[in-house]
Amino acid sequence: MNELSASSRITYRAVMVRPGVARRIRGLSDRTLAWLFITPTIVLLLAINIFPLLWTIYLSFTNYRANRANVPTIWLGADWYQSILTDPDIWAAMQVTAHFVIWTVVIETVLGFGLAYLIDKKFRGHGMWTTIILLPMMLSPAVVGNFWTFLYQPQIGLFNYVVAFFTGRAASSFQMLGDVTLSPWAIVIVDAWMWTPYVMLICLAGLRSIPDYIYEAAEVDRASKWRQFWSITLPMALPFIMLAVLFRGIENFKMFDMVNLLTGGGPGSTTEVASITLKRAAFESWRTGYSSAFAIILFVTVFGLANIYVKALNKVKSR
Amino acid sequence: MAEVEIKAVSKAFGKTQALSDLSLTIGDGEFVALLGPTGAGKTTALRLIAGLEQPDSGSIRIDGRDVTGDAPADRDVAFVFQQYSLYPHLTVFENMAFALRAPTRRMPEADIRAKVQEVARLLHIETKLDNKATQLSGGQMQRVAIGRALVRSPSIYLMDEPLSSLDAKLRGELRLELKRIQVDLGATILYVTHDQTEAMTMASRIGVIEGGRLMQIGTPREIYENPINAHVAARLGQPTINLLPAALFAGAPVGVETIGARTEHLTIARGGGDISATVKRVEHLGDQSHLHLDLAGRPVVTLADPEAGFGAGDVVSLRLNRPLFFDAKGWRVAA
Ligand SMILES: Nc1ncnc2c1ncn2[C@@H]1O[C@H](COP(=O)(O)OP(=O)(O)OP(=O)(O)O)[C@@H](O)[C@H]1O
Ligand SMILES: [Mg+2]
Repeated sequence: MNELSASSRITYRAVMVRPGVARRIRGLSDRTLAWLFITPTIVLLLAINIFPLLWTIYLSFTNYRANRANVPTIWLGADWYQSILTDPDIWAAMQVTAHFVIWTVVIETVLGFGLAYLIDKKFRGHGMWTTIILLPMMLSPAVVGNFWTFLYQPQIGLFNYVVAFFTGRAASSFQMLGDVTLSPWAIVIVDAWMWTPYVMLICLAGLRSIPDYIYEAAEVDRASKWRQFWSITLPMALPFIMLAVLFRGIENFKMFDMVNLLTGGGPGSTTEVASITLKRAAFESWRTGYSSAFAIILFVTVFGLANIYVKALNKVKSR
Repeated sequence: MAEVEIKAVSKAFGKTQALSDLSLTIGDGEFVALLGPTGAGKTTALRLIAGLEQPDSGSIRIDGRDVTGDAPADRDVAFVFQQYSLYPHLTVFENMAFALRAPTRRMPEADIRAKVQEVARLLHIETKLDNKATQLSGGQMQRVAIGRALVRSPSIYLMDEPLSSLDAKLRGELRLELKRIQVDLGATILYVTHDQTEAMTMASRIGVIEGGRLMQIGTPREIYENPINAHVAARLGQPTINLLPAALFAGAPVGVETIGARTEHLTIARGGGDISATVKRVEHLGDQSHLHLDLAGRPVVTLADPEAGFGAGDVVSLRLNRPLFFDAKGWRVAA
């Protein structure tokens, strides 16, 4: 028994003392071994991320159509890019997207921060309220889409009923999803309902990161609650708020599922956000080359905006 | 500056009685130090005066006005927090200027700048004014925290161990500096510390606090020479007073259980004293030595002249020289 443990201790020491583990494994160097370990990940990444991206870039310069794969592929150069960037329909879709992104982000940030601020003040029953507020976020977008389609029903929908109750207008006199002016707001409302809790959670983390003693120091320094909010709470929570804005902005720029379920881009093209235009071009008209070019344009836009934004975020954080 | 009067204030946190029945008056322009071990309730006392905590009972008056229920902002106090409490997203300058920028003050920007720079120079942080508060060492943060209070002229400065994380040299320097500022401004200061040197050198009166109770308050000299009980006696004096059973010595007054002997109460001789002891260890401190003795199995520490040449194993004889007497409960008994 004693002998055994002594010998195992010696083996252990031998392993620890030798300079490279790899030398024991048939002469592989540490470097080779490192490559060996990361190769599967790299291959996977290339196969499911990098290759499709490069392939899409290639297709965006051709006339390729996925439903007519045997037609010879012709190199078109930047034709698609030119026609997309000059197409008024595309610009309309971009405008719809921008409208959707800006309003959802503004509403979610204001409401989310407000709720986080209230919950952070630990009013009575704040624990229960937190849980209730977080519920929508945990549902799947498909469920939320269907669920709100019912709520927006002019005849039996709860939403219309509530609006009717407070405004006195007849419940069936307006259609949230069928009206040209209302439907963009209908999707903004649903997105805000679903994702405000998420923004709230991030803001709450920000508020909780401000230690109590900072506020005590400010109290003694005779700063009013108003001044404490503007010169302590907001600046210290700002990086968190900005992070929430970034997440929601990127997410909503490529919003597809919920809009598709609620309105499918209609009525007309009033709620046709870019991703819906893209899907229509790619899988209804089968203009693969064209939609590839559009996808690349969208990608570059998000990527560029996000990069500028992250720079700003870093500046705020290191301020 | 103003007089601060604390009357019979008690404060409990759940089952912990942090302060019991504290009464204390800090005169206008006075420097009072609260001295006590960790957990004694020193910080709690300051927080109650600042209004960051509400007392369970008792009242607090500042400048004759009852402020017991007032918010901190209405009390006009400055607080140097034990844990600095700097605003991490602001620069050192902005931290120090924060209180001066209160909208009600309407202080011109140039005056704010001048004031902050003056105080920063005093605290040797004038080169750090543009740093962010988080880009400082602990000692620098502590000085910024002091500076944040010093730019103001409140009714009272409440300072919670403001020098604790400074090195010995800087601490000595700032001790003098703080005292000078206090005298110059005629500032009222309640100063919390567990460092007896700070209390002895700066305070006009020392309050010894232990277990949430103010045991004794008086001038440093009174506290040192006339401690009311063994706790207070043990708080002051370097090395700590030796508490020995009275039975070891002949001739103690009746009722005396414990004899408290500081260095100056002990005369060491080679022979012919009241009682003999063995030298266990000698610690050389430079100009003096700490002599660790064994007296009938009890440790005794006293100062000795390094020239005396004692060494471990030497047998010496001790003579008591008007020591302090305490009864069974630790209360002082007159000699
Ligand atoms: N907010 C609080 N909640 C619960 N207990 C507390 C609180 N603040 C202080 N206490 C308790 O009250 C007692 C006194 O605490 P206090 O902070 O006043 O001590 P202190 O004398 O400042 O000690 P130190 O020298 O370590 O700073 C301690 O027992 C502490 O645990
Ligand atoms: Mg304390």
